[in-house]
Formats: sequence, C-alpha cells, structure tokens
Amino acid sequence: MPGKPLDPTAMARRAAQELTPGAVVALGPGIPCRLPGELPPNGGVWFLAESGVVGFQGLGVDLNVVDGSGEPVALLPGGSFTGVVNIAGILRGGHTNLAILQPAQVSASGDFVHWTTNATGATGTTNATGTTSATDGLFAPGSAVDMAFGASRVVAVMPHQGPAGQPNIVSQCSLPVDGVGCVDIIITDAAVIRVGPTGLELVEIAPGWTADEIIAITDAPLTLATNVKDMTFEVPELIPPNKVYATAIEALKDVPEGAVVNVDGFAGPGGMAHYLMVGLRDVGVKGLQLISNTAGIARMSAFGAPNIIDHSILVENNQVAKATASYPVSPSASRPSAFEEAYNRGETELEVVPQGTLAERLRSGGAGVAAFYTPTGVGTLLAEGKETRTIDGKEYVLEMGMRADFCIIRGHKADTLGNVVYKGTSRNFNPVMATTARITVVEVDEIVEPGQLGPEEIVTPGLFVDRIVLRPPDFSAYL
Amino acid sequence: MKSLADKERLPREIVAMRVAKELPDGAYVNLGIGIPTLVSSFVPEGRTVFYHSESGILNCGPIADEGEEDIDLINAGGQFLQRVGGMSFFDSAEAFAMIRGGHVDVTVLGSHQVSATGDLANWMLPQRGVGNVGGAMDLAAGASGVIVAMEHTDRNGQPKIVEECTFPLTGKGCVYLIVTDLAVIECDGKRLTLKEVAPGWTPEEVQQLTGARLTISPDVKEFEL
Repeated sequence: MPGKPLDPTAMARRAAQELTPGAVVALGPGIPCRLPGELPPNGGVWFLAESGVVGFQGLGVDLNVVDGSGEPVALLPGGSFTGVVNIAGILRGGHTNLAILQPAQVSASGDFVHWTTNATGATGTTNATGTTSATDGLFAPGSAVDMAFGASRVVAVMPHQGPAGQPNIVSQCSLPVDGVGCVDIIITDAAVIRVGPTGLELVEIAPGWTADEIIAITDAPLTLATNVKDMTFEVPELIPPNKVYATAIEALKDVPEGAVVNVDGFAGPGGMAHYLMVGLRDVGVKGLQLISNTAGIARMSAFGAPNIIDHSILVENNQVAKATASYPVSPSASRPSAFEEAYNRGETELEVVPQGTLAERLRSGGAGVAAFYTPTGVGTLLAEGKETRTIDGKEYVLEMGMRADFCIIRGHKADTLGNVVYKGTSRNFNPVMATTARITVVEVDEIVEPGQLGPEEIVTPGLFVDRIVLRPPDFSAYL
Repeated sequence: MKSLADKERLPREIVAMRVAKELPDGAYVNLGIGIPTLVSSFVPEGRTVFYHSESGILNCGPIADEGEEDIDLINAGGQFLQRVGGMSFFDSAEAFAMIRGGHVDVTVLGSHQVSATGDLANWMLPQRGVGNVGGAMDLAAGASGVIVAMEHTDRNGQPKIVEECTFPLTGKGCVYLIVTDLAVIECDGKRLTLKEVAPGWTPEEVQQLTGARLTISPDVKEFEL
C-alpha cells in the first residue's frame, strides 16, 4: 500500500523551503495561499496578491484586503496596496523571484495547465481538500500566465493525482497549456520532482512512500536523483535583508564602468538625489550612460541656482559618456550647461527622447513590456528610422522599453524594507525609474520602521528598492 | 507711409485673454511656456479650469509668493506653486498618459512656426544643433489638439505662419487654432481660415505678414474678447 498523501499544509510548508530572504513571491489560488500562514510574520519575503496587495501574510478579516482567491489576508507592517497594472508589472518585469502555483497538470518539460474553477463553479472546495482538477473548456488562467512567465522560478504545488486517481504529472498535457516550459520544481502530496533539461527527476519522497510507488502514479518518465531524500516540513527562518547603507559612497561603490544609470530630478533641485550624485562623483566611475529628464540644467534654469548640485558635477568629472534625456540642455543657448559644452566638444553622446516617451519607455522597461506604439513624435526627427504602424487610421511609432544597471532616486521617507513616499512634484520620474534598474538606490530625508508609512500612502513598494541612504541632515544641495 | 512692421500690435496679455475664451468651464488645461502661461490670469469669470503640468500635478495652485517657494512644488515651466485644496500629484508616466490618452482637454503652446496644414515646430532651432523637446511632442500628439499662442512674426519680422515648416517638427497636423498679436486663425488640416483681426488691421495686412495663404472668413471680425 502506498503512503498516505500529505495534507495541503504539509505541502505548503515544504514549498516554503524554496523561499529566500527578501524574495518576491507570487501565489496562485489554492494550496499556495496556505503558505504565508505557515511563516512567521516578519516581512522576510514579499507575498504578492494579484488583487493588488504587496506584503501580506496570514489570514485577515478586512474584505478590502484580499488575496488572489478572494480570501481576506493580513497586511504586514510595510505592506502596501497597488493597482493591478502595477502587480502585472511586478510579475512581468522580472521583479518576482518565485511564483508558486497549483496547476492541474504539469508535463515532463515543465508545461502546465492551471487549476481552474470546476464545472459546478465550486472554487475553494477543491483547495480545502487539496484535490484538484482542470475543466475542459473552462480556460481561466487568471494571473497564472503572468506569474509563470514573469517569475524567475516557478514552483508547482499540487496533488500527485486527481480526484479520480488520474495522474497530474504527465508526459504531455492533455488540456490547453497555460505556460510552456515554465515549471522548475513540482511539490506534490507524495514527492518533490525537479524539472530538468532532460526530464523529470525525483529528488524527495514523502514519509511512507517508495520511489516505485511514486513512479507508478506518475505518467511521465521519472529518473531518481543521485541522492533522493525524505521530504521535510520545517519552514526556514527568513530575516529581511538589511537595505540601509551608511553613506552614498557605500551604496554606490560597485557601480561598474559604463553602467546605465537612471537619475531623477525633473529639472532639479526638487526630486534630485543630490547626496547620491555627490557619492557617484566621489566613486568616480567613468563611461556612465545617464537616463534622466535633463542632462543637468538646474544651474541654468529658474528652478535652481548657479552652484546647485546636478548632473554637471558628473560631466565635469568626465564620468558621462552618454545622456538620454528630453530636456538635455540649458533653456538659453547663450548660457550652455556643462553637458552641452561636453557634447559640443564631442565628448558625450546624446539621445533626445520626448518626455512622455521617456517616462513610458521606463515604465514599460520596468514592467517587462519590450516596446509600445505611441503617437508622440510621428513625422518628426525623433521618429526617424523607427518602425511605424497605422492603427485605426492613426499613425504610431514603435518605442523600446528601457532598463538600467543602477537607479538613483530621491524619496521623502522610506521604511527599512524600502517602501518610499515622495513629496509633491518631486515624485515625477522617481517611482517610474525605481522599477527599471538591477540596483535601485534611494536617498531620503527620513528612514522609519515598517508600518510607519501608511499602506495606501506608499508609492514605491519596497520590493523595487535595494538600498536606502539617509540624506545627512547637514547636507547642502549647493556646492 | 508707415510700414506694417511698425504698426501697433496687440500686447501679449490680450492674446492670452483671447485664448482664455477658448477654455470651457471644467476643462483640464495644459499651458506651455511664454504667452500660454499668461492665459491662466484671464479665464472668464464664472468658469473654473484645472491646470495640468508635466511635472506631475493636477489642479495647480497659483504662483508661490516670494520667500514661500517650495522646491517640491513646481510646474513644468519652472515656477514655484502654492499648495491648494484638490491638488494631486502623480508620476511622469501617468502625467503623460493623461496627455496622450486625451484626458487633457485643452493644450496651449507657443511656437516657432505653424504650417498651413497645422504642423507645429516649436522645440528646436536648427542653428543650435541640439534642442529641448521636453513634453512638447507628447502635448502635440495628445488627442485634444493644440491651440498656438504666439507673435505673428519672429524678431526679424519673418512670418511664423508658413506654407511648410522649415524648423524641425514637433507634431504634424496637430494645431487647430492660432491666436497671434494680429489674428485668430482656424486650422482644419487643409486650410487656414482668418476669423478675427487685431483692431486697426485689415485681413489683407495680416495676409502680408503671413507666409501661408489665408482663407478669409466671410464673417471675419475684430478680435472678440
């Protein structure tokens, strides 16, 4: 007789072992939703719900705070709310480390068919018992497709067999697939199976089961790992990573030569991370490719003052190889900025991008959208050489999403998890840029504990922010 | 005989006042730099309009008093604003979604040139070799179209309304109304129709200072404020 199938809680606890501190984790409906309740609520990972919650854990009571299954969940201190478009961006844009789904079927090559509402419409009954079935003709993947394609790793948590004893792990899916080659690891009520390049590999076995019994209920070739282990159910201790850096130089010392760096500051001085800019100058790294609304005009414009810190300090230190900007030069030709002088000497490259296109290229880059059609710039110099397309009788130009290596933004306050709020019009490009970089560094006036920023007030959820630097109270934005 | 170049034209404030008539009650309005900025001072009594700025603000307050400037509260033209009730802040992507998506009802811009078919050229002077496009192309592409408020001729007396723009374009066929210190001209993408002339000016005189052919409206009249 085979062993007893694991209950959903045990499966969720095993799935929790796949988490790493600070990970961003998307949970599909069903068994995956049990996972947060099994962990200590310390903000060690970011659970996402496609309903628009970032950072929840455990069950709640408020019907305005629900997960993807519609179940009330508890917001953690430092959790926040956002719109579905932003959640989709977090999924598609490469910001999600792990998606944990409950598919109905997984194939030998990692294709999956998502669990769907069954024919009687009785969602929720299936996940309570841990049984699962896909329903022919009810193609309802919800966000599972975005989760599976967007996450760096996909964990399938599912019963090994369907209610009628049919295998859920199969050579080829028998229903239309929701994702091809997405699943990395399968955790069932009997085993843990890795989806490898050459097929399925049995790596762990539940108590009371043998490898042969598992092979017998798996409808795909299954090889044994060299060291097959017993499944365990301890959940890991997940301590949130420290994001607070002591100084700007500490936070920026690993910016590589030639890095693409996003810098905000609409035109300065508001919204400009002056302290980080000085840090970047002092780090001294060369060949920087700046993406920014201006290339340093605060010294020349009505916003600023002749000695205010802007991009000019990097230009004057010969660190800038290229600027991508909408407003690159001084408003007055007779008072050229440091960047314009360097450009005229042939020392820097320049790409001029309309401001809204710049914002949208950053937004799409951060949200994992490769390109988009916009009416802006059609028929102008800035659209030359770009693909155009007529849609509903109107002409559009194709513009590419943009990402960066580093991003330097200016917030007003951050909590230690990296959630950021902004002040007035100093918001502008900051939240958009925050989503685009491999490493996002924020400079703020005040760092507070998680829970001290209102969850509806948070503009940039902390999962986008890697490093936080306090702008020293005695720091002056003037040289 | 006195040359047309020396003949008195309307002051910028009157041009702004004429444009302000075009703002419907409750409209969301984006004003560019120059004469357009002045428009907000002349909104007819009884009408409320809401100003949008690319800096990420809707319902901009009045210009801040001296000594009260806040670097976190600016408009796209570099002016410091006062904080008022009903004001909201948003990021740049959303600011431009409002523009491109047709949610801003009226856009008023200055320009170097406007063509007979409503092309706009206002972002770059070719001799500088580099220009600041800022949000101009997005505003030109916005679904609402553009009102241009500008001087009728440039500082050398050359017409700014031309058959074809010689300066780099900001947008094609986006201008639907031109208000200058001499005239109000409608633009339907095919022809320019002279609707109003400045006091003391004849349609023929306006045509002489215009680089594109004007169709003179049968009911052409003096500027109506």
